[in-house]
Amino acid sequence: MPLRAFLALTVVLAAMPAAGGPAEGPVRVVSMNLCADELVLRLADRAQVLAVTYLARDPRGSTVAAEAAGLPVTRGLTEEVVALRPDLVIAGAFTTRATVGMLKRVGSPVLELGVPADLDGVRAQIRQVATALGHPERGGAMVAELDARLASIVPAARPLRALVMRPNAFTVAPGGLGDALLRTAGLVNVAAEIGRDRFGQVPLEAAILADADLIVVDEGAPGMPSLADTLLHHPVFRALARARKTVSIPNRFWTCPGPQLAEVVARLAAAANAQAPRP
Amino acid sequence: MTAPLRAVAKPGAWRLGTPRARRTVVVVLALAVIALTIASIAIGYAPFDVPAAFVDLVAGKTTLPAMVLWELRVPRALLGGLVGFSLGLTGAAMQGYLRNPLADPGILGISSAAALGAVLAFYGGLAAALSLALPLGGITGAGVAALLLNALAARGSGTLGLILAGVGLSSLAGALTALALNLSPNPYAALEIVFWMMGSLSDRSMDHVLLCLPLMGIGWGLMLSTASALDALTLGEDTAASLGVGLISVQLRLVTGAALAVGSGVAVSGAIGFVGLVVPHLMRPLVGARPGASLLPSGLAGAVLVLAADIGVRLLATRPELKLGVVTALVGAPFLIVLLLRNRGRRA
Repeated sequence: MPLRAFLALTVVLAAMPAAGGPAEGPVRVVSMNLCADELVLRLADRAQVLAVTYLARDPRGSTVAAEAAGLPVTRGLTEEVVALRPDLVIAGAFTTRATVGMLKRVGSPVLELGVPADLDGVRAQIRQVATALGHPERGGAMVAELDARLASIVPAARPLRALVMRPNAFTVAPGGLGDALLRTAGLVNVAAEIGRDRFGQVPLEAAILADADLIVVDEGAPGMPSLADTLLHHPVFRALARARKTVSIPNRFWTCPGPQLAEVVARLAAAANAQAPRP
Repeated sequence: MTAPLRAVAKPGAWRLGTPRARRTVVVVLALAVIALTIASIAIGYAPFDVPAAFVDLVAGKTTLPAMVLWELRVPRALLGGLVGFSLGLTGAAMQGYLRNPLADPGILGISSAAALGAVLAFYGGLAAALSLALPLGGITGAGVAALLLNALAARGSGTLGLILAGVGLSSLAGALTALALNLSPNPYAALEIVFWMMGSLSDRSMDHVLLCLPLMGIGWGLMLSTASALDALTLGEDTAASLGVGLISVQLRLVTGAALAVGSGVAVSGAIGFVGLVVPHLMRPLVGARPGASLLPSGLAGAVLVLAADIGVRLLATRPELKLGVVTALVGAPFLIVLLLRNRGRRA
């Protein structure tokens, strides 16, 4: 019993600056998920950000690599996060689960972000994070920026059938955010017609025989070979690219809520309209 | 696999191990390889009219089915046969030369070393600059391992000593492969350990076939050329030498041949285990105990085994598809245990 009381006291003491924080100063956050990093770095004051993930600095996967430069990073370990004494920890609903569970047990405030399945979910999540950071007006501004950009895009004139091919022959599953972006651009997601395994991986031959009008790929960074990227350079794609239009959109634009999603829609629509102009 | 066995094992038809029986075995196995290659081309994930696609292909029309046939189905079937033949032939040659029933490129660590060589060439960026670097990396790795094992065998370590050395080499090469992949800057690379250690033929291309075919061909030729010398070696090295067998030449041809065949195969398909262990044992009762006589049948049987396993992983409902090494290990590992037990029983 005395031990438990001691532990509880320690935890309370550790949380003291946090408990005192929100009332006086700005909320100071640790982000434990790349998508959370992108929102935090765009919506918070720099002084509010205690740490982001190590992934945020990698320009291949992150759209905020420049903003993340110079900030402390963590690998999502509990001890790293607790030592920073954040007022708020923002985590993904599917990443660093062990740490999130432990933080909740010691009473750290944790905000868990789900994976939005459509643009409305994206807007809601932007507003949610902005509010949690104490800057709801910036969330509103980001949503307005996203909507303005989306409104300026001329969607595909004809509903071309598009196939998204990511490293390892993953595609975007129907019902996800990627699928919503394709629909916003006025395209039809061919993946709905192909048999996928439960992770969204498609056999190459099924992908080719689906006879898509437009192929969307993400070419890996040169000089960093992997079999996963090599698959996108399979000769069958080269042969297909001779007859069909191929457009390259980096993976980092697709997955996280933020203004870059409009960029995906814009590139998709532009490629579709270049392939099949308005009659 | 079982069809030729049953056909040949008919009691009282004729004696096994005669030249006539051997010719029959080779013909039956060759027909099985052809049949399985055709089946492998016809079976896949997306159904399409294969004969029509073939007509398109011959007519030079670039329809989608023709594209899938030529760029995906045909290379996969060809590689299955080529890699299987290499593994079976190498297994038979090594078992004959080392006079060790457990010798196999997988168990002795030659495949793992080849995978390490290929991994270094591929993830180091050499293969991007020069595509031939991939098979050459595999061949270098396999060659170093084969030389090491030969040196060890020459020092007179027994059956078990050689196998244990192979296990050590295999673990070391596997660990270094994992290390190289973890150090590679691409985040996907670390996930690709499974391919290099278990092997797969999915989504390979005609480029891979063209890369490994000539090198494998030379390796096969070198190993098949040692057939009569291997037979002579069963009488002991001194007797063989007195019969005019050049030991150094035989050893050189075998090491080079095994390195070329296994190294270039592993570079395009990953390390597929146990094929070289199993097939020589299955062939010996049919063609007689002479190691030279079992070379060609073992190669063909290896091709049959890998082609059948590759058809199997596509027909099974597991997605993502099983790695080929999983299937061959499921067949081969129990086989290895039985062999070990029988070996012990004989010595006791």
